Amino acid sequence: MAVVAQPVLEKAAPKKGHHESTLLRVSRYVVVRLLTLFVTVLISIYLTIMIANMGGYVDRIMRGEIRDRVTGSIAGNAAFVKMDPAVRQKLIAERIAAEEERIGLNIPIAIRNFRYLSNAITLQLGRAINMTSDSGSKQVRLILLERLPATLLLMGISQLFLFFSSVFLALNLSRRYGNFWDKLVIALSPTSAVPPWFYGIFLILIFAALFKILPFGGMVDSPPPSNAIDYSLSVLKHLILPATALVISSFFLSIYNYRTFFLIYSSEDYVEMAKAKGLPARDVEQRYILRPTLPNIITNFALLIITLWSGALFTETVFLWPGLGRTLYQAIGLYDIPIIVGSTIIYAYLLAMTVFLLDFIYALVDPRVKVGG
Amino acid sequence: MKVKYLYYVLSLLVAMSMMLAACAPQVAATTEAPAQTEAPAATEAPATEAPATEAPTEAPTTERHGGWLDEIDVSVVDGASAISQIQAGAIDFYSFALASDTYPAIKDAGLSTTKSVGGYYGISLNPAVFTDTSVLNPFSNRKIREALNWLVDRDYINQEIYAGGSLPKLLPITTQLAEYTNLIDTARALEAKYAFNPDKAKEVIDAEMPGMGAELGSDGKWQFNGKPVSLIFLIRSDGDGTRKPMGDYVANQLETVGFTVDRQYKTSSEAFPIWLGTAAADGQWHLYTAGYTPGGFPRDERGGLQQGYLNTSIQAGEPYISNVSDPEFQKIGDDLAQGNFSTKEQRDEMMRRGLELALEDSLFVWTIDQQSYAPYDSDVQVTWDLALNYEAASAGASNLRFKDKEGGVMKIGTNDLYTEPWNPVAGSNWLWDSAVMRATTQGSSGITGGGGLMADPYTGLAYPERIESAELTYKEGLPIVQNLDWLTVTTAPQIDVPEDAWVDWDATEQKFITAAEKFPEGTTANVKSVVTYPADLFDTVKWHDGSPISVGDFVMAMIQGLDPAKPESPIYDESLALSIDAGLEAFKGYRITSTNPLTIEAYSDSYNNDAELNIVTLWPLSPFGLSGEDSWPMFAISNLAEANKELAYTPDKADTLQVEQTSWVGGPSLEILSKYLDQATSESYVPYEPTLGQYVTKEEADLRYANLKKWYDEHGHFWVGTGPYYLDKVFTTEKTAVLKNNPDFPDLSNRWAMFSEPKLAETSLDGPAQVKAGEEAVFDATVTFKDQPYPQSDIQSVKYILYDASGAVAASGDATAVEDGHYQVTLDADATSKLSAGASRLEVAVVPIPVAVPSFTSLDFVAVP
Repeated sequence: MAVVAQPVLEKAAPKKGHHESTLLRVSRYVVVRLLTLFVTVLISIYLTIMIANMGGYVDRIMRGEIRDRVTGSIAGNAAFVKMDPAVRQKLIAERIAAEEERIGLNIPIAIRNFRYLSNAITLQLGRAINMTSDSGSKQVRLILLERLPATLLLMGISQLFLFFSSVFLALNLSRRYGNFWDKLVIALSPTSAVPPWFYGIFLILIFAALFKILPFGGMVDSPPPSNAIDYSLSVLKHLILPATALVISSFFLSIYNYRTFFLIYSSEDYVEMAKAKGLPARDVEQRYILRPTLPNIITNFALLIITLWSGALFTETVFLWPGLGRTLYQAIGLYDIPIIVGSTIIYAYLLAMTVFLLDFIYALVDPRVKVGG
Repeated sequence: MKVKYLYYVLSLLVAMSMMLAACAPQVAATTEAPAQTEAPAATEAPATEAPATEAPTEAPTTERHGGWLDEIDVSVVDGASAISQIQAGAIDFYSFALASDTYPAIKDAGLSTTKSVGGYYGISLNPAVFTDTSVLNPFSNRKIREALNWLVDRDYINQEIYAGGSLPKLLPITTQLAEYTNLIDTARALEAKYAFNPDKAKEVIDAEMPGMGAELGSDGKWQFNGKPVSLIFLIRSDGDGTRKPMGDYVANQLETVGFTVDRQYKTSSEAFPIWLGTAAADGQWHLYTAGYTPGGFPRDERGGLQQGYLNTSIQAGEPYISNVSDPEFQKIGDDLAQGNFSTKEQRDEMMRRGLELALEDSLFVWTIDQQSYAPYDSDVQVTWDLALNYEAASAGASNLRFKDKEGGVMKIGTNDLYTEPWNPVAGSNWLWDSAVMRATTQGSSGITGGGGLMADPYTGLAYPERIESAELTYKEGLPIVQNLDWLTVTTAPQIDVPEDAWVDWDATEQKFITAAEKFPEGTTANVKSVVTYPADLFDTVKWHDGSPISVGDFVMAMIQGLDPAKPESPIYDESLALSIDAGLEAFKGYRITSTNPLTIEAYSDSYNNDAELNIVTLWPLSPFGLSGEDSWPMFAISNLAEANKELAYTPDKADTLQVEQTSWVGGPSLEILSKYLDQATSESYVPYEPTLGQYVTKEEADLRYANLKKWYDEHGHFWVGTGPYYLDKVFTTEKTAVLKNNPDFPDLSNRWAMFSEPKLAETSLDGPAQVKAGEEAVFDATVTFKDQPYPQSDIQSVKYILYDASGAVAASGDATAVEDGHYQVTLDADATSKLSAGASRLEVAVVPIPVAVPSFTSLDFVAVP
C-alpha cells in the first residue's frame, strides 16, 4: 500500500476585509465541490464507457461473435440441414439481426454511450449483456451484490490487517531507525514488486499441494457445511491463503513507506524543539509526530476502505474466490459493458464521496485547515 | 549471530524457490522444421495408450439400486491444479477434460485418465480473389491450397505442441472414430498420399505462382507487382494456447517456400470480426488458425463436406460463400448433406470420392484432432464417451464408482457450474452443468426425444433403458442400417400417417392438430417408430419428489415442444419459433395408441442412417435437446410465470420483457415459481386442459403439486428428475452441487456394467522380414482384448494396407479370419509385384463392433526384386 501524497489543503486564508458567515462560506464550498466532483465522475464514467467499448470496436467484436454463435447453433440443428440454402441464409440474417437488436447493437453507439452514462449516473445499473449472476440473474445490481460479501471479507480482512500492522510496525521501526529489523524491512521491501497472485501460486503449492493442510481454492468446503459455525470456520480456512498472499505482497513496502513517512516527520524542527524542551518521548510522538501525520493516515485509510469494493482481480481468479474482482475480470473478457460501468460508477461515487468528506475530516483533525476558507 | 540466521533463512528461501521452479513443466519450444517423413508414421494402437480402467469385465453383482455412490459432490476447481488436487486427495476426479499437453503430467502423477475427442484444429484459408487487384491471394488457387497439405508435418505438430497426446488430422472426418473407421482404407491411402513432403509442396507452388503473375525474387521471396507476396495470418493467442505455436510453425513453413508472413496474434474476439465478419475479397486475412468442438458423437459425418467447404454451407457466411469449388465436389457435398443416395454402399462411395476432392479443395488444411483427458484417482472407475468424454456420457453417472466398493462419497471437480440459468427450454447447455443434470435423468440417446434409451458411449448407438420394445419401419430405398438386435426393423413401400396422428398444435383451442386436419389429402413419412413401455412403468418409475410418472408428463413434453412457436400462445417466443418451425418441416406426427401399456408412434421425414437412432421414445426430456427431465407440473408453473411476464425461458425474451430468465435451481426465479406453485395448488390447475385434461385428473394434479411443494421446501430448488441420482442441494455462489443416490430407481446399479470400459482391440502382426516381388507372402495378425482373443463376432473387419518404399499405397484388402483373434493377410503375387526394392510396410487396421475406434499395427519388411 503506497502512502499517498498529502492532499492540497485549503490553507487558512488571511483575514479579509469583510466578514462572511461561516454557513455561507461552507455552503458555497459544498456546492462548488459537489459540482466539481460530479463533473469529474461524469467524465470518468464516460471515459470508462469509451474504453470499455473501445470507441466502438467492441461492436464489431460482438457482431462477429453473434454471427459465429447463430451460425453455429443453426449448423448444429438437423432441422435446418435440408432447408433451401437461400431460405436458410435469410433465416440466419434475421436471427443475427434479432440478436443484435437484443443487445442494442442496432442503436447508434453515441446514443448508446449516453444511455449508459445517464443510467450509470442515476444508478440504474440495468441488465448484463452476456453474464448472469451465480444464481441466474441478469440484473447488474444482483450480479455485483452477490459477489460483494466475498470480496469485502477477503479484502477487508487482508487490507485492514495490512494497514494497522503496517502503521504499528512502522512507528516502532521509526523509533529504532537503523537497527536490524529496520534493515531487514528495507531489504525485503522489493518483494512487493511481486504481485499477490504470484505469491498465491507459491502458497497453494506449499500449503495445499505439498503439506495438504489448506485448501487449493474456493470460498468454502464442498459441500458447504450446513450449520453456521462450521460454515464460518470453513470460510476462514479458505481465507487464509488468499489473504496471506494479499498481505505478503504489500507488507514490507507498506511498512517501509510508513516508516519513512514517520521518520520525515520525526526530524521536523518543531519535534527537535519539543525534544529539546524535555517533553516525554510518548508526548512527542503523539502530539508532534502522529498528529500532523493524521490527515495522511486518514486519507490512506479512507481510500483503502473504498478499494475494498474493487476486489483483487487476479488473486481472486487464482484462488477461485467468488468475489467482485473475478466478476470484473469475466466482464472485461466478455465485453459486458453494463457490469464494467456498474462496477466503476459505484467506485467513482464512493471515491467522490470520500474525497468530499475528507475535506471536512481534515478540518476536524488539523486546526490549520478551514473548509472553504 | 542474527545475521547468520538471516542468511540461513534466505538460503532456505532460495533453495525452495529453485526446487519449485524445477518442478515447473518444461516449455515446449520449437520452431525448427522437422525432418521429412514419407509414409504415415506407424500409429500406436489406442488400446496401448488409453489408460484403461481396470474394471472387472463381468458385471458386478449387487442388490443396490440407483448409482454406485451414496453421494457425489461436484464443485468448481481450477484445471491447472486438477492433477495436484487429485494427488492431494482434495478431489477424486476432474471431470472436465484437459488438453492433450497435460497427458504426460497425468501419467507422471500416476493417475488414470479418460481419453476422448477434444476438438479439432486446422488452418482456414481465404479462397477469394481480392478486390484490390494489386494484392495477390495465392490461396484463391486450389492447387496452392492443396499443396499446404504437403508443407505441414502433422506428426511434428502433434509431438511438439500436443505432447504426442493427440492425433494428426488430414481429413474432414474425425480421425480414428466411426466415420474414419468406416472408410479406413481410403483414409489411410489419403494420409499416405498427403504425407509430409515439403519438396512436393514447393514444386506445386513454384509451378502455380508464376501463372498468377508472381515472380520469385533473388532473395527467394515471391513478388507480385514489385512487392513481396505477404500473407496475413490471424493466429489465435487465446484458448488452450496451442494455436499460437501451431500458427507459428505453419508460418515458418510458408516462409521456407518463399512467402512473406504477417503474423497477427489475436484473441477470438479480435479475430472473428475479421475472419467471419469481412468479405473474403476484402483481403483482410489469408490464413486463420481455426478450431472446432464436436457437437455430439460423430457417427455420420457426411454433412461435413458441405458444411466445411462449399458455398452452400449451412454456416452461410464467409469464407464459405466465397469458395468456388470443383463442380463434382459441389454436387457430391450437397448430395451427401441432403441425403441424396439410396444405399449405404452408394453413400460410402460418395464419401470416398468426396474426401479426395476435399483435399484437392482444401478450404481448410486440417492439422490436429485433439484428444482430451479427464484425470482421476486410480481407485475410481469412470465410464466416458469416446467423443465427448465423461461429462457427455449418459451412462457416466450410473457407472461412476470406487473400485470394488459400493457407496461412498465422491468429490468431483469441474470447470464451472451454473454458468447460465437451468431450464429445459433454453437454459444452460454447458457440459459441466449438463453432466450434473444428466446424473438426475434416465439415459439419453443424444437425440431429441430419445430419453429412455441409453447412449452407447463407445459407438454412439443406443440401447433400450426404459422401453420394452421398439419397431422401426422405413420407406424402401432409404440407406438405413440396423446395427443391434433390440429393435425390429421392417421396410414398406409407403408409410401413411394415420389421420388421428398429432402433427401440430392449435394454441387457441389448446388441442393438437391432427393429420386429417393439416393434410386433408393425406400424407406420408419416411420413417415410423413404435415404442412400447412396460405395463408397470407408472408403478416403478417415480419422480424424485415421490410422484409416479404419468402419461401427462409425456403429453406435456409434446405440447411444450410446439406451443412456444404459436403467436396466439401466452408463452409465444419468437426466438424459439424459428427452430420449432424448421423442425415441423420434417415432423409428421405422434400418436399414443395405448396408455396401458404406453405405446407411442412417431412419424418423420427426417431419418438417421442408423436404425437405432430413429427410435423416438418421447420420454419427458427437454423438447429442445437439453439435458434434464421435465415433469408436467414444473412446466405448468413455469408457463404461468412466463404467461404473466414475470419470467422467460429464453434470454432473448427475458431481455425483451426485462425480466429474469427462468431458472429451476436458483436466483429470483425460485420465489416466483414458488408463488405460481401455490396458485396452481389452490386451483388444482391442469394446464392445457382441453388436451392434458384427458390424461391428468384433478386428484393427480393435487398430488403432484403437493409433492413438488414438499420437495422445494426440503431441497430449495425445483430440479426434479427420475434418474439414479437426485439433486439434493444447490449452492450457486459456492459453485457446488450435491447429488445423492436415488434408492427408488428401478434399475440395479450394475445395469450398465457393459459400458465399464471400452473394448479396444490390441493388435500385433507377424510375418516374413523379406518378401520377393511377384511372389505370394502371408502375414498373421493377432487381435486381442486383455490378452484374450477378440471374438470374430465382435469384429466388423480387419483390413490391410500395403505401402511401397515411397510411402504410396500399393495394395489394400481384407484379412481372412482363421479363428477368434487370428487373421491372415495374404499378399498375392500381383500385390507384391507392385513393390519396388527397399523398405515396405504392411499395416493392419482392426475395426471392432463394440467400440468405434479402430486399432492399428504395422510391420516393416524388405521387398527384393
